[in-house]
Amino acid sequence: MNRLSLASNEVPAQHDYFAFEGTIDAQSEGLLKELPSKVRHPLVRFDFTRAGRINSMGIALLLRCFKDIGGKAEIRLEGLTPMHTMLFKMTGIFLLASPVQGSDRKEGAA
Amino acid sequence: MHQMQTVAVLYLDEDDRKLWEATLDGVPGLLSITVDRNLTVSLDRLRRVQSTLRLVILSARLYPEEHPGLAERVREACPGIELLLISSENSSPPLKPLFTDDIRHLAINSEKGQPNREHLPSVVSMLVDRRPWEIGSCLKQGTKVHSYQLDSSEDKESLIGALEAVLTGEGEELDMLRQKGALLADELLENAMYNAPRGSYGDRLFKKGEKREMLPHERIVFSFGFDGETLALKLTDNWGSLEPDVVLEYLARNQEDGSSADDAGGRGLFIIWRFLDQFHVNVQPGQQTAVGGHLQLCSRLDPESPRGFHITKHKKEIAA
Repeated sequence: MNRLSLASNEVPAQHDYFAFEGTIDAQSEGLLKELPSKVRHPLVRFDFTRAGRINSMGIALLLRCFKDIGGKAEIRLEGLTPMHTMLFKMTGIFLLASPVQGSDRKEGAA
Repeated sequence: MHQMQTVAVLYLDEDDRKLWEATLDGVPGLLSITVDRNLTVSLDRLRRVQSTLRLVILSARLYPEEHPGLAERVREACPGIELLLISSENSSPPLKPLFTDDIRHLAINSEKGQPNREHLPSVVSMLVDRRPWEIGSCLKQGTKVHSYQLDSSEDKESLIGALEAVLTGEGEELDMLRQKGALLADELLENAMYNAPRGSYGDRLFKKGEKREMLPHERIVFSFGFDGETLALKLTDNWGSLEPDVVLEYLARNQEDGSSADDAGGRGLFIIWRFLDQFHVNVQPGQQTAVGGHLQLCSRLDPESPRGFHITKHKKEIAA
């Protein structure tokens, strides 16, 4: 099984960028819990291009993470598959973060 | 010969009746009642046949919005009767009144002419006979049903892999079905491994994400089958700890809130419900819970629209 890992921008940028890789579930708690403290800019981009299955526990952790970030930065979601989009719509993720279409995406740093 | 009336259906008016005529064709012993603004007379008709009735079907054009108190009045006329709500896809009802009125059966019919969305006569027959749902009932005859008993939480990924392996082939629809199937299997297995096991005070015995072995008398069985068009899945545990009322409450809460609460209970069951074309829960309290349903390869259902469900409570039959 492909456990969740995280890549982030390491060069100076006007926004924060995090790329998910692997399954997002109960095992992702540690990573997602500490993620809000890493946000430094008023815009944060999350790239799901290489994210795999996201179950209900993963959704709960993402919601908590996005809520924690929500007060200090705008959240944009990129690289969503139709399955992610369906899931995020029905679970309220899009109430906290906005999906970005392919053409609107910026180059990810690092 | 006079046929015993075992099923009654209440329609709003003649137009409503015509909408469902073909769908309910083939239901034996069906009494059709068109309310036409005279509910009292309609309930009297029900009362006259209540001794033989096993099921009353309500059209969503009548309930909950047009006659919010209808479920209660039908139960007064026919004590202990099972109620099934039928709705078309574009006007599916809010779930909160169903939860309040303890209506555990909802069938949603597609208006897009979708084949076998739900074969209503077979659902009616299942409810009339008080039979629990069986995985083979929605698969073509002869379809192999794969069953695996879990030994440990470490088995989860290999079982998901086994499910994906039966969904062979290429194309967007199959790829989507594989992803939905994998998520459904994940949720069903997590639910059985971490939510079902309860202590004597109803407390959860295991925390999500922790590695665990099955207990000596614990039996969790995951079954699935694919006939080329329909994927059916079923998860059975021998805890029987899931309460039918709680299932309905979870669906209603997650549905009404569009819930972004990170601690919303029952999100896993909500996801299972919304990704299946038809959702079944059967509980034998303290003995067994079975959760499952089916979904179509070529589903044209709006992912945003609610799905039907059947939540039943049965006492386990004692083998002769």
